[in-house]
Amino acid sequence: MKCKILVIGAGPGGYVAAIRAGQLGLDTIIVEGDRAGGTCLIRGCIPSKALIHAADKFEQMSAHSEKGHLGIKLAAKPELDFAETIAWKDGIVDRLNGGVEALLKKAKVKQIKGWAKFKDAKTCDVETSDGIVTITAEHVILANGSKATELPFLPFGGDILSSAEALSLTEVPEKLVVVGAGYIGLELGIAYRKLGSDVTFIEADEKILSTYDKELTAPVQQWLKKHDVAVHLGARASGWQDNALSYTDKDGKEQTIAADKLLVTVGRQPNIDGWGLENMAVDMANGFIKIDKYCHTSMKNVWAIGDVTGEPMLAHRASAQGELVAEIIAGKKREFNPQAIAAVCFTDPEIIAVGKSADEVKADGIETIVGKFPLMANGRALTMEAADGFVRITARADNHVILGIHAVGPHVSELSGEFALALEMGARLEDIAGTIHVHPTVTEAFAEAALAALGHAIHI
Amino acid sequence: MSDNFDVVIIGGGPGGYVAAIRAAQLGLTVACVEMRGTLGGTCLNVGCIPSKALLHASELFDEANHGMGQFGITTGKVTIDITKLMTSKEETVKSLTDGVAYLLKKNKVDYIEGRGTIAAQGSVKVALSDGGERMLSARNIVIATGSEVASLPGIKIDEKQILSSTGALSLKKVPKHLVVIGGGVIGLELGSVWQRLGAEVTVVEFMDRITPEMDGEVSKTFARILKKQGFTFKLKSKVTGVKKTKTSLSVAVEPAAAGGDAEQIKCDAVLVAVGRKPYTQGLGLKEAGVKMTDRGQVEIDDHFQTNVKGIYAIGDVVRGAMLAHKAEDEGAAVAEIIAGFAGHVNYDAIPGVIYTMPEVASVGKTEEALKAAGTAYNAGKFPFTANSRAKANRQTDGFVKILSCAVSDKILGAHIIGADAGNMIAELTLAVEKGLTAEDIAYTCHAHPTETEAVREAAMATDDRAIHM
Ligand SMILES: Cc1cc2nc3c(=O)[nH]c(=O)nc-3n(C[C@H](O)[C@H](O)[C@H](O)COP(=O)(O)OP(=O)(O)OC[C@H]3O[C@@H](n4cnc5c(N)ncnc54)[C@H](O)[C@@H]3O)c2cc1C
Ligand SMILES: Cc1cc2nc3c(=O)[nH]c(=O)nc-3n(C[C@H](O)[C@H](O)[C@H](O)COP(=O)(O)OP(=O)(O)OC[C@H]3O[C@@H](n4cnc5c(N)ncnc54)[C@H](O)[C@@H]3O)c2cc1C
Repeated sequence: MKCKILVIGAGPGGYVAAIRAGQLGLDTIIVEGDRAGGTCLIRGCIPSKALIHAADKFEQMSAHSEKGHLGIKLAAKPELDFAETIAWKDGIVDRLNGGVEALLKKAKVKQIKGWAKFKDAKTCDVETSDGIVTITAEHVILANGSKATELPFLPFGGDILSSAEALSLTEVPEKLVVVGAGYIGLELGIAYRKLGSDVTFIEADEKILSTYDKELTAPVQQWLKKHDVAVHLGARASGWQDNALSYTDKDGKEQTIAADKLLVTVGRQPNIDGWGLENMAVDMANGFIKIDKYCHTSMKNVWAIGDVTGEPMLAHRASAQGELVAEIIAGKKREFNPQAIAAVCFTDPEIIAVGKSADEVKADGIETIVGKFPLMANGRALTMEAADGFVRITARADNHVILGIHAVGPHVSELSGEFALALEMGARLEDIAGTIHVHPTVTEAFAEAALAALGHAIHI
Repeated sequence: MSDNFDVVIIGGGPGGYVAAIRAAQLGLTVACVEMRGTLGGTCLNVGCIPSKALLHASELFDEANHGMGQFGITTGKVTIDITKLMTSKEETVKSLTDGVAYLLKKNKVDYIEGRGTIAAQGSVKVALSDGGERMLSARNIVIATGSEVASLPGIKIDEKQILSSTGALSLKKVPKHLVVIGGGVIGLELGSVWQRLGAEVTVVEFMDRITPEMDGEVSKTFARILKKQGFTFKLKSKVTGVKKTKTSLSVAVEPAAAGGDAEQIKCDAVLVAVGRKPYTQGLGLKEAGVKMTDRGQVEIDDHFQTNVKGIYAIGDVVRGAMLAHKAEDEGAAVAEIIAGFAGHVNYDAIPGVIYTMPEVASVGKTEEALKAAGTAYNAGKFPFTANSRAKANRQTDGFVKILSCAVSDKILGAHIIGADAGNMIAELTLAVEKGLTAEDIAYTCHAHPTETEAVREAAMATDDRAIHM
């Protein structure tokens, strides 16, 4: 088979690249060895958010049943049929998977199921159910994605879970230990806590969510404390035996902790082995495929996007790169140069980080001003019982151009659109302060944070 | 205690208290006169905040009642204790009105409790709530006296059976059948509250659709969603009277156009939600020579000044949308103008939100307005059924619609029906305010999985290039 564009991997990077290429009238084939949708739709973002949503609701209903809440009272404790929860989640995944396939079809992209193996930079073999198919393409887009990092002394299998298995358990584990308190571990750990598990974190670093500053993670830390979730910082896991994890605590003492399930979420690594990457003469950088600002690799007409190219390993980055490559191949002038890629943690409360914090730009010698507005002073957050958190803006002191926007609070994730746009348009504090924000909404906290940075917030 | 101020503000609602704080920040001496007994005006006491508190709680109740089965949570019997519900609402209101009192104090604004009257240019007489009188001399006066419920001729609001929004915010029990007169924002929000808590709700609307000022497609979809939730709509109809018996009410409804049969609707509560009108009673405007419009609003120029020098007016009492954030923005602007700066409000970028489930939010022009003006535009629409976060949150009702100029690609209007539409409209408001294009939104990386991705997809759809559709 021959085509103009060959996309490997149908995750949010690959399938978006293929759809965009199809829209632009380019003859495109996409190859996927597993299910269309990739990590994100099948065993990542979406199933995790579905589980988080269900857990959230279960916790909310439990609160109603105890003391009663806002006058709402449940006669008895709510009951959870976890198998049904998982079936519901699987239903969503199935629909999205079918949806992606339908979108590809609509865009006239040819889909081939099987694992691609490259013989050279432009040719691969795919073992399909109908035998081996060889595909040669003018352009190749590598979107092979990533997989959970495995610790050699805690190999996945049995009661040792990666995030993928943690999303498909048949029952809520009574005792769950999570190794790694990054966003994936915390999102899932918090969800299981809400569903009734006794949860403990083992984290080698000195803090949870190590890429975020302490002020931002403090509300999450408080949530964990309030819900009796033990967090052992500076602790190193070392082995698993008879359903007990052994680890060295921060004082160097050997400890063990029993658990029904052990979830290991210590990061993700690119899928670079076993599919002939070595035959493609593509340069690497720190273990990832090296790309330039056009997402082009060192090999002519071989492009790479998404998790296989490095941090930030986020679905929306992969998709943005996918669109861009399709457009470049179609002759448009594009480069990948976003001012900001929002990162959202769907913990409780949620965290958003877009752009840089004051600490992060200090090294560049940039003088900053910072404005912070607590959700406690926001009417909408109070009416929604979601006042635990704040919005923080960091701007240059000299011209007030916004450098970073951070927020923590229940449901703040939906503020991320405006935050990203503000950075992308090069907004100054005055632009945000001068835009009318609806009352009562949580977005007012954004305008107030801008005013606070300018020295004249109204509601604090 | 001095009685001389740079600015005296009459009314402590969102317009008035924001003007007071901003003026004080700019170094002026300020008094804020409020007769209600608490600060925060309509908005915090009997408007935005209590209604949103009830909407939040009733939504949780509704969810507990119906919404959990599909993902394996069984809740059994769910009850609601209206007294407790009202107490928690009042607590929220109190924490916010106390908060405003604290802010005035912190900014050294003199909060004077009583009813203010403009005695003459430059002086305000206050009939103090504690008795007695105080005469204030004011270099500048800002009228921020807000609005009150508009009523219908022949229908007397008693706040027991025949309610205004204020009465509907503090009912003691759930009515069996509530008839709402007026299918606007307030009627639909409060109708939703009581519908969720168990009332049968019938909305009578004069026009041929609910929320008639909204984008037609949006209001059509919105009506369909509310119907599915159990609302009954009587459109193109008017209420001509309400008969009271001891235990029930009978509402006389006639077709809006002349002729046609009248009908009687039996119910046990009526909510009159036909709008609000400016409140200027006892202000002494006539005596002070302040001009009014024929709609009863205080007339102002582009800089909030009335025909009398040194007397300004803002908020619900003047022209424009009766919205708290519009009042607040005018409050900040008038303070800046009085302090000698260039205060400004952009009336083309004032968003509005309806806090039903789903929420409805909009900013800028509707499709009808663009057609009427003969503007060439592109429309891009993206449904939440195709948004993965909405799927995971079981909130797939609605869509994002963006209207952009066919020539310049500039965003002219945006309309959202969706669970979190109220927060999502902020991004599009920023876009309208700053004259951004649909492409600007399309080329901004939106976090996955969030419902804001639907905003980006709608922007791409204006150019027929949405990905997930
Ligand atoms: C639990 C969890 C939660 C997450 N939550 C979020 C979140 O909230 N927000 C966010 O932005 N990101 C989140 N992520 C990260 C997100 O899933 C990834 O960033 C995203 O999926 C990367 O997209 P991709 O297209 O680069 O790769 P992937 O989604 O990994 O897709 C790669 C695809 O390529 C296929 N493939 C690989 N090699 C071959 C081959 N040789 N032949 C054929 N097919 C091949 C794979 O089977 C896979 O389907 C989460 C991840 C996890 C694990
Ligand atoms: C049920 C309901 C829900 C609403 N929901 C929303 C919403 O979600 N979002 C939104 O933006 N808007 C909403 N509104 C509208 C919003 O409340 C008003 O637009 C806003 O309060 C107007 O602010 P204001 O300062 O102009 O006037 P007001 O808030 O009405 O304040 C005026 C104040 O002046 C005082 N006053 C009047 N005359 C005198 C006098 N002579 N001396 C002393 N004091 C005086 C009054 O007591 C009052 O407290 C809602 C309104 C209602 C009724």
